[in-house]
Amino acid sequence: MAISPTRRPDGDDDTDARGDGGTESASGQPATDSLEESQVATDTTERTTMTEEPGGDDAEGAHWTVQYARDHLAHVLVIGFFALYPGLVAVLTGIPALDIGFTTVDPGAFFDAFLPAMTFMIAMLFLGLFAMSFDFISGYTGYLSFGHAAFYGIGAYVVVMAANGDIPIVPEGTPFMLTLLLGATVAFLVALAIGAVSFRLTGVYFAMITLGFAQVIYELVRNWDYVATNPQEGPSMSGAAEIGIPYVDSLSFAIGRLAGDSFENVLGLGIDISATLTSYYAIGLVVLGCYFAMQRIIHSPFGRVMIAIRENEERARAVGYNVFWYKMAAFGMSAFFAAIAGAMFAGYRGSASPDSTFYFLVTADALIVTIVGGIGTLAGPLFGSFFFESLEDILSSQQGGLAPYLRETLPEAMLSADVAGITFLDVINTVVDGRAPLYLGIVFVLFVLFVPNGLLGSVRDRLGGTVAKRLPAHLERYRK
Amino acid sequence: MIDPLTHATVDAPMLADTLSRFFQPDTLARILIEGLGKAAIYFIIAIGLTLVFGLMGILNFAHGAFAMVGAYIGGVIMVVALSSASGAFTRIALFIVVVAVVFALLTAAGSALEIKLVRPIYDRTPMYQILLTFGVGLILEELARIIVSSRGIQPEPTWSAAQATIPGFLSGPSDVLNSLFGVNIRGFYLFAIVSGAILAVAVYLFLTRTLYGLYIRAGSEDPEMVEALGIDVRKAFTIVFGLGTGLAAVGGVFLMWDPTWGPSVMLNLDVLLYAFVVVVIGGLGSFKGTLVAAVIVGVADSFTTWLFNTGIVAFSGLPEVTIFLLLVIALIIRPQGLYGVEEVGGH
Repeated sequence: MAISPTRRPDGDDDTDARGDGGTESASGQPATDSLEESQVATDTTERTTMTEEPGGDDAEGAHWTVQYARDHLAHVLVIGFFALYPGLVAVLTGIPALDIGFTTVDPGAFFDAFLPAMTFMIAMLFLGLFAMSFDFISGYTGYLSFGHAAFYGIGAYVVVMAANGDIPIVPEGTPFMLTLLLGATVAFLVALAIGAVSFRLTGVYFAMITLGFAQVIYELVRNWDYVATNPQEGPSMSGAAEIGIPYVDSLSFAIGRLAGDSFENVLGLGIDISATLTSYYAIGLVVLGCYFAMQRIIHSPFGRVMIAIRENEERARAVGYNVFWYKMAAFGMSAFFAAIAGAMFAGYRGSASPDSTFYFLVTADALIVTIVGGIGTLAGPLFGSFFFESLEDILSSQQGGLAPYLRETLPEAMLSADVAGITFLDVINTVVDGRAPLYLGIVFVLFVLFVPNGLLGSVRDRLGGTVAKRLPAHLERYRK
Repeated sequence: MIDPLTHATVDAPMLADTLSRFFQPDTLARILIEGLGKAAIYFIIAIGLTLVFGLMGILNFAHGAFAMVGAYIGGVIMVVALSSASGAFTRIALFIVVVAVVFALLTAAGSALEIKLVRPIYDRTPMYQILLTFGVGLILEELARIIVSSRGIQPEPTWSAAQATIPGFLSGPSDVLNSLFGVNIRGFYLFAIVSGAILAVAVYLFLTRTLYGLYIRAGSEDPEMVEALGIDVRKAFTIVFGLGTGLAAVGGVFLMWDPTWGPSVMLNLDVLLYAFVVVVIGGLGSFKGTLVAAVIVGVADSFTTWLFNTGIVAFSGLPEVTIFLLLVIALIIRPQGLYGVEEVGGH
């Protein structure tokens, strides 16, 4: 139980490596800590507010990887959840129907109706990454980028057009991973160009000018017949997009619902991985990489300046930072990641259309999930996006949605029960079937009114710090 | 190399040809009258937005949704009340009644909305007001979609039955304009110009001759001083938000007859984006700016539409691209807008 006084600085070094950099009050105070250790049972709330690091007790002599994993417990849990989710869904929806005398119970269909299907989970990944990139600029520097869809669209169009050989210099057959980077770089440069004029403005005017730029690009793409034979519909991609290491076939996996790679009996374990699952994991890995990259940036000194700009731009300038270039760089990076999201969207779908990539509503989706998840928290948008896609799945009119489930499971007498000329079936058809946007709008308004910090932001307020920092301490408490 | 306007590459003889076609009196008259007609519509859909922003500093993202609701309510009344035998006079008279009814209904609805939803979040950053109104817009759009499709009407494209209630002399070429300029211009544009002018005068008189107009003008200049002078700003906010909503809905009723718009749920975003362009170019919160910007945007729209329709430019998105480019250029050259105040809208 004893804390060696030298342990703390070591721990700090390690935690710096994990990118949290948030060593506000971490500079030791072993005396306080040991004092607190002695009265741990009496004052637990005190403990959570004072403990900076997860109890350093048995960490003495522990390998740095153990410490690292411990600091990343929250990440590990979240990544574990998403990694195991497909298996969970397969197991739960596979539960056979049971005949219990008077009626049949079908838990499988129930879970099918309420758990988001894999196709929705994949959509969650692009939307999540796109929303994170939106949050990166809007949540951390406070500049609402209402034209963010432009960067998403650039990423999507570059990969599709490159696959079709429509981009000069880029030969047909360039690996998807390279065209993805190309798209991201193009978006980065476009963002710098847009930012150069837009960052002279602030507040509502910044939102408006970025929206204006995005709409100009949208209209151009929608009417320019070079990009596709029918520009309103957008181009389709020839061939499948492969995520992995370029030019190494065994380490590249094609994504797409139909065109993706599927594996049977992996490693002789009797597990089959469908094309959808391959896409899910491949895209998930890219999203994970992007998340850590963005997290690293935000926790670096550069990220601190971004937050300073949000909190008080005048002061940041007065301190001597060239805020213009910080904002430009943040905007460019944000566009870079937005384009990666767009590229994966197009790679998975095998096509891109102006309305699903460049249009203002695409930005609006990112905005909604960012608010629901928590603006100014990097992982928040991913959870918001999970919520968004769950709702989409539950209210979807296809198999696996709530409406078909209710129509199949409820007894006929109940469905056709007539109240003032309206049957229950009519109610399902009009207010459940495919009505996700309505409930999303309502949830969104409720969040704006009552939970302005979003899901993750509220959890943080509750815990008194970031989840990654607080979770180990909380778990520690329950272990004792 | 790739050029989005490949077809627009203009060579010298073509330029001369374009110019000579442009400077014919009938062409000029057409561009100007259609442009002013469009400008009138743009003014009607934008003026409510600018009033609300000027006084309250709220960029109302539900503005387009209110216009959509107005268009549908107007359409329902027109379709139900009219038969195919109704004469032109009945149609026009009913239209005026509809404008009044929709304005009253939506003004009340907007005031209620302000009290219930917007008022609790005045003390937050402007972003949350944008988000809230945007969410309200989304809900209204979805509700409209549900109601409209449950009545067996397609939510998009436009609801043609409502559009068809326009009297024949407005939907066809106007005799008056034909005898004046010798060109066939849809009578609706003349109707829009007249109505827009009446509305502009009405709003101007409201702003300059009434107490609440005084509050709005004073509040746009210096809200704290207005409050310090003992004026109930909260009440003024409610009334102005209601009026802005009502004006948006009136704009929607006009769009119902407009050949290029018509009632559809897409109005939510389309109206919103166009209203933003007009308001931002003119300067947020400025009546005069909105008027001038509406004329600029309207004439630019009709000019570029003419360029495309005559085949001089084969790029079909020209009008839209031009309008949003105007927004971008205006923001680069004069961020506060033509007649805007420098500080308004910054953060």
